[in-house]
Amino acid sequence: MEDEKLRAAISRKTRLRLAFTVVTLVLYFAFTLNYLPLGYSLSQRIGDSWITGSLAMFVLLIITFIVLEFVFLFVDTEDDSGAGGS
Amino acid sequence: MRRCILRLLATVFAIMAVNSSAALAAETVDAAKQDQPLNLTAISLFLVFVVVTLWISYWASRRTQSSSDFYNAGGGISGLQNGTAIAGDFMSAASFLGITGLIFIGGFDGLVLALGAFAAWPLMLFLLAKRVRNLGSYTFIDVISLRLERGPIRIVTVTGTIAVVVLYLIAQMVGAGKLIELLFGLPYEAAVVIVTLLVMAYVAFGGMLATTWVQIIKALLLIFGATLAAVLVMNQVGFSIDKLLAGAVENHPRGESILSSGVLFKDPIQIATILVSMMFGTLGLPHILMRLFTVPNMREARKSVFFASLFMGYFYLIIIILGFGTAYLLYGQPEYFGPDGKLIGGNNMAAIHLANAVGGDFLTGFMSAVSFATILAVVAGLTVAGAAAISHDIYAEVICKGKPNPKTELRLTRATTLAIGIIAVILGIMFENENVAFIATMPMVVAASVNFPILFLSLFWPGLTTRGAIAGGIVGLVAAVGLIVVGPQVWVSVLGHDEALFPYNYPALFTLPLALVITWWVSVTDRSARGQIDRRNYDELLVRSEYGTPDKPLKVHA
Repeated sequence: MEDEKLRAAISRKTRLRLAFTVVTLVLYFAFTLNYLPLGYSLSQRIGDSWITGSLAMFVLLIITFIVLEFVFLFVDTEDDSGAGGS
Repeated sequence: MRRCILRLLATVFAIMAVNSSAALAAETVDAAKQDQPLNLTAISLFLVFVVVTLWISYWASRRTQSSSDFYNAGGGISGLQNGTAIAGDFMSAASFLGITGLIFIGGFDGLVLALGAFAAWPLMLFLLAKRVRNLGSYTFIDVISLRLERGPIRIVTVTGTIAVVVLYLIAQMVGAGKLIELLFGLPYEAAVVIVTLLVMAYVAFGGMLATTWVQIIKALLLIFGATLAAVLVMNQVGFSIDKLLAGAVENHPRGESILSSGVLFKDPIQIATILVSMMFGTLGLPHILMRLFTVPNMREARKSVFFASLFMGYFYLIIIILGFGTAYLLYGQPEYFGPDGKLIGGNNMAAIHLANAVGGDFLTGFMSAVSFATILAVVAGLTVAGAAAISHDIYAEVICKGKPNPKTELRLTRATTLAIGIIAVILGIMFENENVAFIATMPMVVAASVNFPILFLSLFWPGLTTRGAIAGGIVGLVAAVGLIVVGPQVWVSVLGHDEALFPYNYPALFTLPLALVITWWVSVTDRSARGQIDRRNYDELLVRSEYGTPDKPLKVHA
C-alpha cells in the first residue's frame, strides 16, 4: 500500500516535470519563428524604440526560463526533506 | 607538495618572463600579434590569479585523501557554491568572446548560441538534477550502469565521455594557445604548456575541491568584469538601451538589419539543429553532470542548478549590452582594425577591444586575465571528468568490479590526470594550424547523440535494455561524427571540397532522434534474459531516483 502511494506520487511528479519540460521546449523552439515568414512581425521595432520583437523575445525567454525554474522548485518540494540522496 | 607547487610557480613565472621578453621583440609573429602590445596589467592580474589558485590547490591537496574527495570534493560543496562553479565551468571563452564576437559581426543572430547555451539549464533541473543525484556516485555513467549491464554499458558510455572530453580539450587548448599568444605575446607552444601545467597542478593535487574553487573565482571575476564593462558601455549612452541600439545601427555596416534575424543565419532548419545540439549537448556533458555529485543531497543539487541558471541568465543578458556595445564603439575606430580592414586579432577579440574602448588598459588587462582564467577553469573541469572516466568508470567499476584498492585508485586517478595533461599538450600543438571550428562543434553533437539519449531513457523509460542503449549509443556516435565530417566545416573547410554532402554544421537535429529510435527499436525487440533484468531494475530504482532512500537496500541486478 505504502509502495503504491509512493508510485502514484512519483507518477504525479513525473507528469509535473514533463509538463515543465514541454513548456520549456515549446518556448525554446518558438525562437525559430524569427527565421520563418510566420515570425515576420518579430523583426519589427516595438513602437518608437529601437528594440525589436526579436530582441525582446530573447530577453523574455531568458527571464521566463528562470521564473519557470523558480516555480518548479516551489511546487516540487514535498519530498525534499534533505534526508535522501546522500 | 609545497615545494612542488612553488617549483611549478617559479617555472610558470620564468616561462612567462622569458617569453614575454621574446614577444616584445618578436618579428616572427603575424601582423595581428604585432599590433597587440604586451599588456603588463593583464600579466600582473593573471599572475595574481595563478598565485591564488595554486594556493587553493595546496590547501585542497591536504583535504583530498580519497577517491571520493578527488571526484566530488567529498560531496561537501553547498548549492550556491556549486551553482557558481557550474556557471564557471560552463561559461567558457566561447561564450564570452565568441558570442560577443558574433554579435559584433551579425547582431541579433549571435544570440542564437547564447539562448542555446542557456536553455539547457531548466531541463537540467526538471529532468536530470534530482534523479541523477539520487542514483549516481561520481559520474553520470554510475547512474546508467546501476540499471544496465555494468561492463558493456560503461565501455560504450566511457567512449562517449572520452570522445567529448578530448574533443572539448582540443578546442580549449587551441583556443587557449591562440588567445594567450595574442593577449600576452607568448609563443603558442608555451601558452599550451602553461595552461596544461597549471591545470595539472589544480587537478592532480587538489582534485574536484581545487577545481571547484578555481571555477568559483573565475565565475565571479567574469561576471564582475562583464558587469563593469556593461556599466561603462551604458555610461557612454546615458544608460539608455535605445541609444545603444541606435548607435550600433548607425555605426554597423549592416545597419538596422543587425537588430533582427538574417545576417548570419537564414535557414530555420539550421537554427533548429543548432538549438537541439546546444540544449541536449549540454545535458550530456560529463564534466557538467559530474558537478551534481559534489553537493551533499538532492536539495542542494537542485539549488545548484537554479543558482547556475541565475548567474548564466544574468551573464547572457549582459552579453546583449557588450555585443551591441562592440558594434557601437568599435566600428569606425581605425585603431581597432588592421590594414586589411578586419578587427585586430579577429572577431573573437571584439570583447577585449571593447574593454579597451571603455576601460582603457586596466579593463583590457582584467578581461584578458579573466579570459585566460576561463580557459583554465574549463580545462580543469574536463580533466577531472576524463580522469574519473578512466580510473573510476573503467578501473574501479569494470576491472575491479566495483571493489578497487582505494590507494591504487587514487594513484591511478592522479596518473591519469598527468596523462591527460600530456595528451592535451600534444593535441594542442598538433592542431595549432588546423581549423578547430568543427572540433568545437563535435563535443556538443556527440554528447547530444550518445550521452543524453542513454541517460534520459535510463531515467524515464522502463523498456530500456542494455542492448538498446549500446546500439543507440554506437549509432549516435557514428552518425554524429559522420555527418560532421561530410558537413561544411570538415568536407569544405578542412578537406577542400567545393560543396558539403550534408548542409549543416550541428547535425544533432537528425542524430539525436536517430539514436532514440534505434535505442527504442532494439530495446523493444530484445527478448534476452538480460533485457528482462534491465526492465525490472527500472522499477527497483524508481523510488530511490525520486526520493533517495539510501537506507533501503537496492534489489537491482548488476
